[in-house]
Amino acid sequence: MIEQPPKAALLLENVSKSFGDLRAVDSLSLRVPAGSIYGFLGPNGAGKTTTIRMIMDIIRPDPTGGRIEVLGGAAGGEVKGRIGYMPEERGLYRKMTVRRTLRYFGSIKGVAARALAGRADEWLGRVGLADWADRKVEELSRGMHQKLQFAVTCISEPEMLILDEPFSGLDPVNLDLLKAEILRMRQAGRTVLFSTHVMHEAESLCDFILLINRGRTVLDGTLEQIRSHWPSNTVAAELDGPTDFLESLPAVEAVRRDGRCVEIELAEAADEQELLRAVLPRVRVRSFEVKVPSLHEIFVRLVGGEVEEDS
Amino acid sequence: MKKILKIAQREYAETVRTKTFFIGVLFMPALIVLAILLLSKAGGKSSGRPARTIAVSDRTGRLWADVEAAFRRHNDAFPKRRFDPARVDTPAGEADAVDTAQEARVGDGKLDFYVAIDAAALDGAGAMRIYSRRTISVDMEEISTVGRLLNGAIFNRRCAEKQLDPNLLAGLRRHVPLRRVQVGAAAPPGGVQSKQEQIIGMMTPFFFMFLMFMGIFGMGQHMLTSLIEEKSSRVIEVILSAVSPFELLAGKILGLAAIGLTAIGLWLASAYGAARLRGIEIVLPTGVAAYLVIYYVLGFLMLSALLAGIGSVCNTIKESQNLMMPLTLLFIVPMVVWFQLVKTPDGTLARVLSFIPPMTPLVMALRLSANPETSPLETWATIAVLAAFVPCVIWAMAKIFRTGILLYGKRPGLREMLRWLRQS
Repeated sequence: MIEQPPKAALLLENVSKSFGDLRAVDSLSLRVPAGSIYGFLGPNGAGKTTTIRMIMDIIRPDPTGGRIEVLGGAAGGEVKGRIGYMPEERGLYRKMTVRRTLRYFGSIKGVAARALAGRADEWLGRVGLADWADRKVEELSRGMHQKLQFAVTCISEPEMLILDEPFSGLDPVNLDLLKAEILRMRQAGRTVLFSTHVMHEAESLCDFILLINRGRTVLDGTLEQIRSHWPSNTVAAELDGPTDFLESLPAVEAVRRDGRCVEIELAEAADEQELLRAVLPRVRVRSFEVKVPSLHEIFVRLVGGEVEEDS
Repeated sequence: MKKILKIAQREYAETVRTKTFFIGVLFMPALIVLAILLLSKAGGKSSGRPARTIAVSDRTGRLWADVEAAFRRHNDAFPKRRFDPARVDTPAGEADAVDTAQEARVGDGKLDFYVAIDAAALDGAGAMRIYSRRTISVDMEEISTVGRLLNGAIFNRRCAEKQLDPNLLAGLRRHVPLRRVQVGAAAPPGGVQSKQEQIIGMMTPFFFMFLMFMGIFGMGQHMLTSLIEEKSSRVIEVILSAVSPFELLAGKILGLAAIGLTAIGLWLASAYGAARLRGIEIVLPTGVAAYLVIYYVLGFLMLSALLAGIGSVCNTIKESQNLMMPLTLLFIVPMVVWFQLVKTPDGTLARVLSFIPPMTPLVMALRLSANPETSPLETWATIAVLAAFVPCVIWAMAKIFRTGILLYGKRPGLREMLRWLRQS
């Protein structure tokens, strides 16, 4: 388990935002520890992008007394230069060359003119676009465009990365590149916050997770904390011999069969050790696994079938 | 401030590279030079044309010698605008046949004009008919010359038959010309204006108003196109992650104002160049020039802010056209009534329009160049109204911009935009 660092890179307290009658974000609070990877999860329309835009001071929260603290200060102004933000809707100037794009966004992000040229070339090399430096952005393939967009996000070497749905639409090569960069950022002591509606991406990367739905917090904590609140009630086993007896056991609620594999749903308060003891004398047990609930399952259980898994 | 300058710089560099700017900037001077060259031509220096053939059927039977003499005097005075008259014999009773035959010759292009003079013409009755193939607009001037020459011939014949001295009568009837003498600041040297100078006097104010129009309205269009491009390419959110909406707006306005000044500079230089080449002096007192710069800056701020507001809520240029309509109409009004304004630069219409902010820069450009002695008090009053109006527009548009810039999909209605204004 990861020690909770004392410093928060990002703090939201009771932040709300309404659009007309729609309450997109409803008294949301969150705390992103510095140096962590923080997953901001929820189905489409849960309020993730709205929250991120408020953090970036692109839109203002409702004046309901909520508070946003970014890297120790108020959102907006000077602090924007210390955050790398990749919006969900990617876009760059089509007519600009790749190198000029990097330099321009670097310059408005506050990178000093002296460092700019070297920094741009460094990132062009890192994402493999050095040969394309003098081409126009509109000539790039989709995959190259994605790499350039990520380089633009990182050009100012920000203390915190905020990525809105960074994995959507990525090809497998870029997906691995992006994951590697996110892990590299954490290694360098930087904070990464990303939103996604694809739960398993978050499971593999995040130290902390916040699940929201309809603008409200549903779950908040480390992956282990969340899982410990949701004990397993499923066992996957591979058994040699007839398995008809399983249904008659008191510990068993339901059984799903798939060849030699069975998935056993336990009755309330039943112990999987007791089940194992009951099974052992009757058949040969090849494998017996207590299944850890996936975030996806937890979320489905919490909010009903509202999650779309469409990666 | 540094970020604003960066944005202004990019806006300038990228706009200068676009085709629309290139064409706009080159096309305008070409138009101006052409207009000035044509203007100087219309102002008197007449060009030559081939001699016109004209057949005359004299049914009085007594006029021909005088007609011939009149045309000869004309040809001596204007050798480049000659008429070659020829007599058509018209035996009694064959008048209709002669007319038909000559009409056919005019129709075939063998003859430029055919004139039939009634038998009663010398007795104070009857009429003359002139046949021409071309449209009235083309030979209006030539026909009136022919009419004048023939009437002169008829007058001389009548005098001769009544034994009167035509010179004496002409002396009695002499038309006394009225010459205009301009006094005051804008007066030309010597005070007397030629016809050419009068036309230039009328056109110069229009030129300055048109320049103001192109500089504000034409250059303002770049705001619309650049914003909508940023919106449709979705780059806008990346920019807003680095700068505030206000910084973006300010940078864009600054960059485009610089573009506008560049273009106007080029246009003015070409206009003065062409005018000098033709020996025309475009007179504009420095005080007026200073006023015009103030009006330009305020006018550009106002319009580019308005267009930024419009651009921020639209996804395509086409969508923006509906919102642009009322604005365009306001800007067209002074262009439509310009003649009225030049004639009476201190009239009620001119004074009222000067105080309606979107029109102020155009109307005042016209009034000040038409009459440099427009009351300074009134001038400053219009500047004050405009200067008070501009921050209100910027404030309102910045609010609409902030909310509208990230909206995609259906364009919000006016009522919704008004609601944004009331929000803090």
